This record gives sequence, structure tokens and C-alpha cells, in this order.
Amino acid sequence: MGRLEGKRALIVGAAGRGNMGQAIARRFALEGASIAVAGRHLDVLEEVAAEIGGVAIHGDMTEQASIAAMAAEAEAALGGIDVAVNATGWGLLKPFLETTQEELDRMYALQLRGPFQLFQALIPRMGEGAAIIQISSATATILFHDHYAYMATKAGTDHLVRALANEFGERGIRINSISPGVTETPMTAEAASVPGMMEAFVSGYPLGRIGTKEDIAAACVFVASDECFMTGQNLQVNGGLTLRRNPNKQEIEAAVIRAAAA
Amino acid sequence: MGRLEGKVAIILGASDERSMGAATARRFAQEGARLVLAARRKEAVDAIAGSLGALAVRCDITSEAEIAALAKAAVDRYGRLDAAVNYAGISVSESILDSTPEALKASCDVHFVGTVLFMKHMALAMKDGGSIITTSSLTVLAQAPGYAAYAGAKGGADVAVRIAANELGERNIRVNSIAPGFTKSAMTEDHFAVEAVTRAFLKEIPLGRFATVDDVAEVALWLASDEAFVTGQRIDVTAGQSLRRVPLASEFA
Repeated sequence: MGRLEGKRALIVGAAGRGNMGQAIARRFALEGASIAVAGRHLDVLEEVAAEIGGVAIHGDMTEQASIAAMAAEAEAALGGIDVAVNATGWGLLKPFLETTQEELDRMYALQLRGPFQLFQALIPRMGEGAAIIQISSATATILFHDHYAYMATKAGTDHLVRALANEFGERGIRINSISPGVTETPMTAEAASVPGMMEAFVSGYPLGRIGTKEDIAAACVFVASDECFMTGQNLQVNGGLTLRRNPNKQEIEAAVIRAAAA
Repeated sequence: MGRLEGKVAIILGASDERSMGAATARRFAQEGARLVLAARRKEAVDAIAGSLGALAVRCDITSEAEIAALAKAAVDRYGRLDAAVNYAGISVSESILDSTPEALKASCDVHFVGTVLFMKHMALAMKDGGSIITTSSLTVLAQAPGYAAYAGAKGGADVAVRIAANELGERNIRVNSIAPGFTKSAMTEDHFAVEAVTRAFLKEIPLGRFATVDDVAEVALWLASDEAFVTGQRIDVTAGQSLRRVPLASEFA
């Protein structure tokens, strides 16, 4: 018997082949949940939905109307929502002094306003025993160069998670966030394809390897299940990265140069 | 297939059926772990170990020799050690103005010195990676009057947990603590009998009910399993109480 048997789960941010949302959706399906996958690319969502026997729903986290429609559609398709995971994000790397208003607005819309409005759309539809999981980032706690807009909005949303846990606990709704470190996903694919790049990160991990999207999916199973009586928490699921740090710009450059020379 | 199939686990602090240690032992056994249970009172451990087919060992966490012997007992009996959970604790409560060296040292001996030496000997016995879990407290996260000795030592142990995680990662050993809130157990049953106390606490718990020893056991299970790429963390099982506060004694009326 699966650990999420009988749970109806909405996974937002599953429209990228091989992304974290898809890994979570696949694992949740294995654990017996019924699944709605959501995101901006319906064709990709339909592939993964067909694979796991779920439903595909269009949703754009930067548009309130789209978020509301997505939540309503998921509720109708699944017959209710017990678990929701927001795995959307935009891994912008941009020096602080060069970050534009357009980039800031887009980041805010996707990583702070979007989750805010997603929680607004979800909470009235949820009841006793429901769980919301926000995928945050280790960089909401530790730092990474040129990641200012990303880090600030992820950290802001973590604090919102705490406040909502405090507010809606009495309705039996648990809200937590999970912070991966750098993870190989489509969001990081371009950077990860540079030889030496990912190796530069490894020394930041006490456990000696960077995390995988499957590590995050495993943590999501625990937090989403009835086994978990936690709320308002930000869980660091990154092999101890926050005990150390990410590589700085110079260390990354040196690693890339070393890899190119080898 | 159980989530701890093939694993050998030590649980220290399993001397009462109502304890976190016993709840964790039951949960771990269900998931296929082979167990070594320990506490100061060996005959009390025997009773719990018997029904679970576990090995019972006497261990006082203030004795390094007994901690080392506990780790050795697991390896001698089962050939390996994969997970070790420390729930050993003593109740210490005195205000700053009433502080005594005796109580401060007693708390440090159990909660700080004992915890660090527990991590040491469990890690030495783990030859193939593993997971070490120790117990923190809500009182580390929210300032509870009267808990300087208790929370101070537990908070120090949490810092040691982070350092241990940083050091032991290269051996593939994960080290974390669990911070329960006010949880009904053998240690707290007297407090739970006072309705004014439970009422004052419930007001500070967002999820509206007390966490149980079984809730704590689930977190220990997750951390002990291969499903937690987590190290150096304090996992909060306070049902959200750390977002609020610990009530004052003046509210227990």
C-alpha cells in the first residue's frame, strides 16, 4: 500500500521534461496518489499525465486568473485537493547592479506573487489533513552569486509559508517548504552542461554529492503524507549544503578552466 | 518491503511503553529493522524488547564506556549498525535566579556531553554510512521560563549536531535532531494531567492538537530511512508551536 493512497495531489510546475515537478508527480503516483500536473505547456503535461494516469491542467503562475482556474480545474478533476506542491521557479543569474525592473517584476510575479495567489486559491478548497509544499531553495538561507532576485523571493515565500501555517493550522492544513540545493533539472541544464560547473558545487556538500530531484520527491512524500505532523517548517533537503556554502564566482571559474584544460 | 529492511538500529531511551523510544522501536520494527534497545533500567528495556524480538542493553548516557558497549552490542549481535536514535533525557527546571551548578551540570552531562559521545560511538560503529538522530526540544526554539539548564544544553547539542554532520558526511553518516513540542510521554504525563496546563499549551499550537510519541517516531523513521538526503538539521515536530511561544507558568491557572 502506497504512502499517499487516497490522496489527491496537484503538482504545479511539471511542464518541463525531466523537471522536479515531474519527478514529484511520478513518485506521488507510485505511492498511490491521484495526480493533476499543471504548468504552462499542456503538450508536455499530457505526456506525463498519460504516463502516470493523471490529468493535465494548464496554469500560468504569473496570472491570477490562470492560477484560480487551475485550482478550480484540479479540484473538479480530482474531486478535491489534499496535497499541492508548487515546484515552479526561474533560475535567473544576473549581477545585482544589472538586474532590470522587467526581470524583477517577472521574478516577483512567478516566485512571490504567484505562490501567494496559489495559496489563496488552494486554502479555501482544502480541509483537515491537507498539505501544501512550497519548493524553496537552499539559497533562501545561504548565498549564491548573481542570484539576488531569485534568493529574495524564495526567502519571502518561505516566511509566508510560516505565517500561513500559523493561520490555517486550526483548519488542519499543514504548510511547509523544502529547500533543495543545486539540482540537475531543465532549470539548471544550461549551466550544468558546462564542464566543471557541477563539480565546483560538490565540496559544499558534507554528504559528498549534489542532490537529485528524486531526493526532493522522497522528502515531499514524507511531508505530504499523514505520517508527517509538521507545519510552518523549511526543510533543508540538500545533504548538509547549508552547513557549508555554494562555490563563489571565482571558484566556479577556476573549476571550469580546470575542466577545459583537462 | 519495509522502509528499514536490512537495517540495524539502536534506540536509547526505551524504558517505558509510553516513551518516544518505545514508540520509535515499534515503528522501526514494523518497517523491518533489527533493534537494540537501551536505557538505564535494563529490566524495563527487557519488557519492551521482548515483544519486538530486540536486544536489550543497559546504557547510561553519562557513561562513555556504556555508550561504547551499546554500539558494540549492536555490531556483535547483528554485524552492523545503520541507525542510532538518542532519546535519553532528564527533566530539569529551575529559574535563572534559582540556578544550581548541580542541575546545570546534570543537564549538560546527559544532554550535551552524553549526546556528543553518543554521536562519537555510533559513528565509529557505522562502517557503511548511517543515520544518527538525537533529540532537541521546542524549548530550544522558543524561550520557556525555567528551562535554561535543559534548553541551554539541548541547544548546545544541536550545534554539535551540525558540526558532526559537517564532519561525518564524508563517511556517509547523516546527523540530525528532532525537536518535539510538549508531548505526552512517560516524562511529561504528570503535566498532562493538569488541564490548565494543556489548555494554555493548546492555545499556542497552530495544528490544534499535541504531537504524540508516534508523530515523533514517524520523523525518526524518515530520518533513519534512505529517503532523507538531510543532514545537520533540527526537525521540528511541535505542530507549529515554534511559530508561537511557550506559555508562562502564570497562565496555568
